Amino acid sequence: MTQEMQFKEIVAQYCSMDPEKITNDMRFREDLGFSSLDFMSFLGELEDTFDIELEEEDLVQILTVAEALELLERLQEEA
Amino acid sequence: MLIRNIIEESAGKHADIMAVKWLAKKEIHERSYRELAENITMVRKGLLAEGFIGKHIALIGASSVEWIESYLGIITGRNVAVPLDANLPGEDLVDLIDRSDSEGLFLSPKHTALLDAITAGCPKLKKIWILQEQEPDVPNAGAASLLSLMELSKSTEADSDSPAPGDTATIIFTSGTTGKSKGVMLTQDNLASNVAAVDYTREPGTVMLSVLPIHHAFCLVMDWLKGFSLGATVCINDSLLHMVKNMGLFKPDVMLMVPLMLETIYKKLSAASPLIPKKLVAAKAFGGNLKIIFTGGAHLDPYYIDKFADYGIDVLEGYGMSECSPVISCNLPDDHKAGSIGRPLSNVEITFEDGEILVKGSSVMKGYYKMPEETAKTLEGGWLHTGDKGYLDEDGFLFINGRVKNLIILSNGENISPEEIENKLALDKLVGEVVVTGENNGLTARIYPDQDVVAAKRMNEEKIQKELQAFLDKYNRNQPSYRQITGLVIRKHPFIKNSTRKIKRQDVLIDEELPTT
Repeated sequence: MTQEMQFKEIVAQYCSMDPEKITNDMRFREDLGFSSLDFMSFLGELEDTFDIELEEEDLVQILTVAEALELLERLQEEA
Repeated sequence: MLIRNIIEESAGKHADIMAVKWLAKKEIHERSYRELAENITMVRKGLLAEGFIGKHIALIGASSVEWIESYLGIITGRNVAVPLDANLPGEDLVDLIDRSDSEGLFLSPKHTALLDAITAGCPKLKKIWILQEQEPDVPNAGAASLLSLMELSKSTEADSDSPAPGDTATIIFTSGTTGKSKGVMLTQDNLASNVAAVDYTREPGTVMLSVLPIHHAFCLVMDWLKGFSLGATVCINDSLLHMVKNMGLFKPDVMLMVPLMLETIYKKLSAASPLIPKKLVAAKAFGGNLKIIFTGGAHLDPYYIDKFADYGIDVLEGYGMSECSPVISCNLPDDHKAGSIGRPLSNVEITFEDGEILVKGSSVMKGYYKMPEETAKTLEGGWLHTGDKGYLDEDGFLFINGRVKNLIILSNGENISPEEIENKLALDKLVGEVVVTGENNGLTARIYPDQDVVAAKRMNEEKIQKELQAFLDKYNRNQPSYRQITGLVIRKHPFIKNSTRKIKRQDVLIDEELPTT
């Protein structure tokens, strides 16, 4: 499974949607119906799954699936 | 009863039990009740040595052992603590420090970027202590470390007198319905009697994991003060990112949550394969010891009570507000009814006026700080007007069935005053009229664009949508998540107004052309 698919499977747990149908331009809050806490909890799971560390301050900039994927890739490169 | 008595009693009875546990650099650190009481005394003596008697002292920071020791150092002496929401924009924090007449400030190391704005905007402020043990490396003469304040106590025997039960202990800011937040003044007796009236006991050493914001009355009084009165070990959740992980780490027996947390956890629980026994799923998700979740701050759908029971967790809903220190009624482990908010506490008297719940008792606030009109209105006739409608059933359980005030209650327990946000959104030139509503557990801005701007810029629908969304994204970036706008509705027609040209809030969903008269 690709990293992107693994990522989308975690997203899907919070929005009861088929991971295949989650597109990168979707916004977490508006399109996927994430609550603020769903979003935090989801990011906490990303930390554990992909072994990265997030700072709460960085997260306010993330609105879309694509932005979260970019952040994940950037943190993996920096690690 | 004073908060000082609660702390001294627990330090005497449970000296070697851990009072607080927290994570720092992936290691668990801990403080015993003896050490906690010693540190609180040092802060209190330090404040006295600095000349702080009867002064207001603000605190800005997330939950930390330094925060709670400083808070208790303030209120076990004769000063007044003003806990502020660390997630608010800087300008709001400066306004609240100033409006609360705070002369001292405990500031978390994460917020030192605000130092210049605070010193410039708060002329009454005399001292700032950074909530860390080492000297702060910030070039600001006004800021010292918490450690240096505590060191002061070593050169003096003098300790502060105890406050009187009727003295204000704390001022907690809460959303105002007029667009300006109000400072709820709670006395020593208000707080201590609320702690005593929640009729719930656990063995000393019971583990609690505190996941709510510490500046909220629910967390401050029920996690921390109630927890300390029981001799519990209160563990600090370092971030909402790690709530689930920290449950596994600290293995709490009891937790306080807002409905939003139960909703998120339930999504995770129900995503587990149905082939895995629920007991195993629960042990993995909650750490294995969790038996009770107290929930409050907003109404919980009783659906979750049944669902969590399947995993062996009792969810007990309570009701309260900052103005009542905060608990008014609460379901208890052996006395509860699903869908109700429990029986009123023993120190609370309840009556109804046109369906609105009115409350009297030893936990009802003294009033709003420097807001005599608001105070008189809320405490009219000696009763606290809650703004919620409800009834008592034949068994004496309280139920809520509506609201009187124009306040949006989100399931994370935050109370949002729509006017406060509307005033900010109205600043954009393209926003002609705006009303904020609570929908799908988030905030929606309903905007009628300014037709002069639309005409001047020759904007079509798509352009209006794009520009307003960009404005909301910019606004959201500077706001705590609960004040962010997650929905946008662009109106084709102006809002319906009453005879005084005020928008009729009950009709904001109607968007039709009005007949001209």
